[in-house]
Amino acid sequence: MKTINARVNGQPVTKDVPDNRLLIDFLRYDLDLTGTKEGCSVGVCGACTVLLDGQMISSCLAPAVFANGREVTTIEGIAEDDRLHPVQKAFIDYGGFQCGICTPGQIMAAKSLLDTNPSPSEAEIKDWMMGNLCRCTGYYKIIDSIKAAASQRSAQSGAAEGKV
Amino acid sequence: MASLLNIGRPAGHVEGPEKVTGRAKYSADINLPGMLWGKCVRSPFPHARIVSIDTTRARVLLGVHAVITAADIPDVLIGRNIVDMPVLARDVVRFTGEKVIAVAAESADIAEEAVALIDIGYEELPAVFDPIEAMEEGAPRVHADTSRYKYAPIPPFFHGDNQILPPIPNVASRVLESHGDVQAGFAEADRIFEHTFYTPNVHQGFIEPHACVIDIPSDGSVDVWTSNKGPFAARSQFAEAVGLSAEQVRLNAAAIGGDFGGKGDLMDSVVAYHLAKSSGRPVKMVMTYAEELTAGNPRHAALITIRSGVTNDGRPTARQAKIIFNSGAYAAFKPLHTIHGSVHAGGPYRVDNVEIECLVVYTNNVPCGHMRSPGGPQVVFALESHLDIIAHELGIDPLEFRLRNALQEGDVAPLGERYHNILCRETLQAAADAAGWGSDKEPWVGRGIAMYERPAGGGSSSATLTVDANGRFSMLAAIPDTGTGSYTILQQIVAEELQVPLESISVHHGGTAIMPPDWGVGASRVSHTAGKAAAMVAREVREALVQAAARELNCQPEQVRWQNGNFVADTGASISLAELLKQAERIGELPITRSATYTSPGNYEEEITSYTAQIAEVEVDPETGQVKLRKIYSAHDAGTVLNPLTHQGQIDGGVVQGLGQALIEHLQIEDGVVSTAHLGDYKLPSITDIPELETVLIETPSGPTPYGGKAIGELSNVAVPAAIANAVYDATGVRFMELPITADKVYEALQASDNAS
Repeated sequence: MKTINARVNGQPVTKDVPDNRLLIDFLRYDLDLTGTKEGCSVGVCGACTVLLDGQMISSCLAPAVFANGREVTTIEGIAEDDRLHPVQKAFIDYGGFQCGICTPGQIMAAKSLLDTNPSPSEAEIKDWMMGNLCRCTGYYKIIDSIKAAASQRSAQSGAAEGKV
Repeated sequence: MASLLNIGRPAGHVEGPEKVTGRAKYSADINLPGMLWGKCVRSPFPHARIVSIDTTRARVLLGVHAVITAADIPDVLIGRNIVDMPVLARDVVRFTGEKVIAVAAESADIAEEAVALIDIGYEELPAVFDPIEAMEEGAPRVHADTSRYKYAPIPPFFHGDNQILPPIPNVASRVLESHGDVQAGFAEADRIFEHTFYTPNVHQGFIEPHACVIDIPSDGSVDVWTSNKGPFAARSQFAEAVGLSAEQVRLNAAAIGGDFGGKGDLMDSVVAYHLAKSSGRPVKMVMTYAEELTAGNPRHAALITIRSGVTNDGRPTARQAKIIFNSGAYAAFKPLHTIHGSVHAGGPYRVDNVEIECLVVYTNNVPCGHMRSPGGPQVVFALESHLDIIAHELGIDPLEFRLRNALQEGDVAPLGERYHNILCRETLQAAADAAGWGSDKEPWVGRGIAMYERPAGGGSSSATLTVDANGRFSMLAAIPDTGTGSYTILQQIVAEELQVPLESISVHHGGTAIMPPDWGVGASRVSHTAGKAAAMVAREVREALVQAAARELNCQPEQVRWQNGNFVADTGASISLAELLKQAERIGELPITRSATYTSPGNYEEEITSYTAQIAEVEVDPETGQVKLRKIYSAHDAGTVLNPLTHQGQIDGGVVQGLGQALIEHLQIEDGVVSTAHLGDYKLPSITDIPELETVLIETPSGPTPYGGKAIGELSNVAVPAAIANAVYDATGVRFMELPITADKVYEALQASDNAS
C-alpha cells in the first residue's frame, strides 16, 4: 500500500492505495469521480485525460502514486460553482459532443490547449487534440467549440483589461 | 416554416450540462454497495471441445465470490432474433474469445487474477473461417444442428416462389428478393458486366466498451444498467434467458457512450446475472477494449458479386447480386435473420429486373452484429464501384451515367417500392454542382461519386409528459438517446406543440419499469416514431390544460385558444399558464401527466424515402501511395431539418466513419484471431484525418417525422467509401475491389501498373 496526499479539484485528499493502483481507478473508484472515462486502456483514445499540475496525462496509464504531492484536475473540477467553464459551455452551444463518453477527455485537453495557447489556429487545435478520439462528431464541431471558447475567453480577458 | 419558434433552429443538447461536467452516469459509472466485478475466461481456440475444467485455484483466491461454468447455469441460449448463443460455452467453443467461465471478485484486479488461475483443457476441432469454404460439402460444421434454434428459419432459405433449395452447409439464412424477370433483362442487354468486391470486418468504434451492472433485490426481481439502445427488446430477451417474467426485470436509465448499431445486444448481462445470483452481491462487468475488438459484435465482412446488363447508351436492363456475409460463430447479435442492407444492391436507379441473393454464413470467427445501416456500406461500395466501372467501359461520364438512370417521380424502385416525392436526381445534381463536377483537376487528383437511399424506420415509441406548478414540463422517453441529440429534438417538438420556452422542458430516459413499450433506437426511426410520440403527448397535455382553462374562464374547451402563454376565451377573458397552474395546484389537480404511444402504419415505408449523394475529391501521392482526402461534398434530401446543429452532427460523424471504412479501418482476423486487438492497432480516424466538408441540404417538409423531417443518421456514412474508391480510380486509373484503400495497397498497385506499362 502507498499513501497518496494530493489535491484533487482543489480539495486535499489522503488515501491509502495498492502500489499498482492506476490514476483512473483512484479517481473513479477511490474518489467516486466517475466523470473521467476509460476507453481503450492503452493511452490511445484520450477519454481518460486529466490534468496533473496543469499538464495533460492519460490517467489509464499513470500510476496513482504519480498524483502524490501534486494537483489533479478532472472534468468535475473546472466549472466555478455552477458556472460552466467556457470550454464546457462552448461544447454544448457548438455541438462539440454527441454521446458524451469522450467529452470529459476532450474538454480537459481543450482546456489545457487554451491555457497554453489562448488563440490557437485550426492547425494548432488539430495538432494538440489528435490524441483524443471521438466516434460521433467527426471532430468538426469539436474544432468549432474550441475556436468559440478561445474567442470567448479572449473577449472576456479583453473586457477584464478594459480593452473591449 | 417561418412561423415555427423552435423547429429548424439550432439547439444544443438538452443533456449538455450533465455530459460536459462528468455528471452523466453511463453503465460503467454505476457503483453499488457491496458490488463485485465480473470477468470471463475466454477461449483461445476458434473451434474446440472443452475436455476438462479446473477452477479450484480460482475458487480459493481471497476476494473471489463466485466462479461459474456452463454446468452451473441453466442450459439456455440467447439471441436478438435467432437464439443460438450459449451464455457460457457448453462442451464446445466456436470462436476465439468465446466466454467459457465467469468469476466475480471484490475488485477487477482480483477477478483478473482468478481468471488466470483457471485451467481449461481443450481438444481442437477443425475450424472454418472463410464463408465460401464453409458452404462447401465436407466443411467443418460450426453448429451441428441449427434447426433446434428458436427463430432460426427452417429451412434457412426464403425464396420468392417457395422453391425448395438444396441445403448448404453452415448457412444461417438465405434470402432471395426479386422483381421483374432478370433472365429476360439480361437477354435485352448489349453488354453484361460482373465484378466481385470484398469489404472486411469493421468495429463500431464507440469509445464506451459494453458495460453492465446487475442487482438482484430480495424479491427476486432484477435491476439492470447496461449500454443497450433497445431496452424493451433487451428486457424480454434477458427475462427469457434467466427464466423471469419481463415485469420482474427492470432496465434502468443509463447514458450510452456511442452505439452506431452495436449496442443492441445483451453482451455480458446474463453472465453478470448468474454471477450476482451465485454470489448474492451486485455485479459489474465492463469489457476491456481488447475484448470489444476481439469478442464484441463488429460489422460483417462481405463478399459481393454484382452482375448488370446494360444497353450501349447506358440503360440497365437487369441486375443480379449475390451477397455473402460472414456471420461469425453465432447469429445471436443480429436482430433479423438476414442483413437488411442487401436490398440496396438495386440502388436508387431505374432497373426493371432485379434478383438479390443474401447469404449469412456461420464461420469460426467473432460473431458479427449491426453497424450503422447494416449491410449498406458493404453493398453500396460494391454497387457504386460496379456502376463506375460500367460507366467508364461505356465511355459515359460517371455523373451522367447516374443522372440518366436516377429514379424520378413516378418511377418504381428496383425491388418494386413505390415512393413519392423522389428527389434522387436533384440530390445527385446538388452534389455535382457543389463539387464543380467536370471542372479541371491537377494530376493525381480525382473525384468520385456515389449515392444511397433509405427510408426512416417505423415502429412504436412511447413518452410521458408532466407539468408541475412551476410550469416545468418533464418528459420521459422510453427510447434512449444514444448521443444523436434525439432528446433535444423531442424537447423542440414539445416546445413547438405547447408554445413554451425550450428551457422549460426537460427530457430524460424512463426505464422499462415505468414506461410503456418502445422499439428502441434503430433503422433511423427515432425522430420519426419518438418524435410522433412526443407530439402526441404534448397535444394531450395541452388538451388537459385547455380543459382546466375553460373551467377557470367559465366556457367550453373549444372556446379557448392558447396563445403567447395565455389561454384566451372567445369572450376575451384570459388566464396565463402560470396562473392556471397555480389554481390547478390549489385544487389538487397537479401534476398533470399524460402518456402516449405512437405506432407507425405498416406501409408508410413504401411512400417516403430519402436520398444522399457523396462526392469525394482525393489527391494521391504517387511516391507513397497515400490517399489524401481533400474534400467531401455531401448532399442530402433532408426533409425539414428539425435541428441544424444535431442534423449536421449526424452528417459530420457519418462522413468521418465512412472515410475510416474507406481508407483506414480493418478489423484483421487471422485464423479466427483478431490481431488488431487494441485501438493502437485498430485505427479510428483522428482529428488530423478529416477532410474539408461541404454539405448541401435539399429541404422539403415531406418526411415522416413531425414537421416533415427525414432520416439522416444512417444515410451520411454509407456512400462515402464508394465515393472515395471511385475518386482514387479517377486519380490513378487503379480500381480497388477491396476496402480499406491503404497507402501500401495503392503504392503496390501503382508499381504494378507502372511495370505493366
